[in-house]
Amino acid sequence: MNLEELKKLKEKAQRQVALREGQKKYRVVISMGTSGIAAGAREIMKTMLDEIEKRGLDDVEVRVTGEHGLEDVEPVVRIEEAGGEETTYARLDIEKARKIVSEHLEKGHKVDTLAVGKQKKTE
Amino acid sequence: MFDELSLNLLDIGMNSFAAGATVLRITVLEDVRRDWFIVRLRDDGRGMDEETLRRVLTKNASTKVGRKKQIGLGLALLRQTSEMCGGAFHIHSTTGKGTGVTASMRFSHVDRPPLGDLNATILALCVAGPDVDVRLHYCSNGEAFQFSSQEGKHHEPRRTQETQGKGAAASRAA
Repeated sequence: MNLEELKKLKEKAQRQVALREGQKKYRVVISMGTSGIAAGAREIMKTMLDEIEKRGLDDVEVRVTGEHGLEDVEPVVRIEEAGGEETTYARLDIEKARKIVSEHLEKGHKVDTLAVGKQKKTE
Repeated sequence: MFDELSLNLLDIGMNSFAAGATVLRITVLEDVRRDWFIVRLRDDGRGMDEETLRRVLTKNASTKVGRKKQIGLGLALLRQTSEMCGGAFHIHSTTGKGTGVTASMRFSHVDRPPLGDLNATILALCVAGPDVDVRLHYCSNGEAFQFSSQEGKHHEPRRTQETQGKGAAASRAA
């Protein structure tokens, strides 16, 4: 724990927040209420931020919300696409979070095995 | 429920954002010699009245209304941890002014969870509340530092505004 490390993390957060300008192809919304945090949402967020940055995906913004209303299946991440399509991923772990970044956010392929519920489409 | 105290800090910090805070001050104090471990959170959010305050300290209370399933365990959890670890828990809140929470624990208590990844907590808070000034005062056995998420960020535009203001005043005067 030191100040230099924290400053680097602050810059990381600022880079991510800067990506919120304008319409992005993907918006990742991580559930960070009490139950989400207890289930590991903080580590999921950190992993996804790292992976997004590592892969240089600048058409992705990451946001945080309170409870999604899916307390039993946390950690939960919702991916909203510019076209209005939404996918909810549940019961995530670090590996699954990495997979969502590489498959869904990078290649544009939804990871059906991890998705829950009906996918919302606007047409 | 939380195996790291930094997760409690993230959880309670998220409440401050929900309360519309613009500044969130987090203090972490580790003092092995006096055998204390103290965490403190203070915000300038909308605060709580006495009734709400009483409610949030009991299990399953949440300030969110109209929810089928009310969660809101956060403060009760931290209180339980501090009391279990030979310390005390204090909360004070003023409507419209903000809320402060202090939890102390015996550093050496066997049940005291480790602080854990405080960095990840600060990162999460910075992403969750980009416009909130998240401040950390960390003091561990005599070594201390201060961190602010907004440091060096708002100074520039503010100065520009001032100069512009002065410029405008000057041109009016002319």
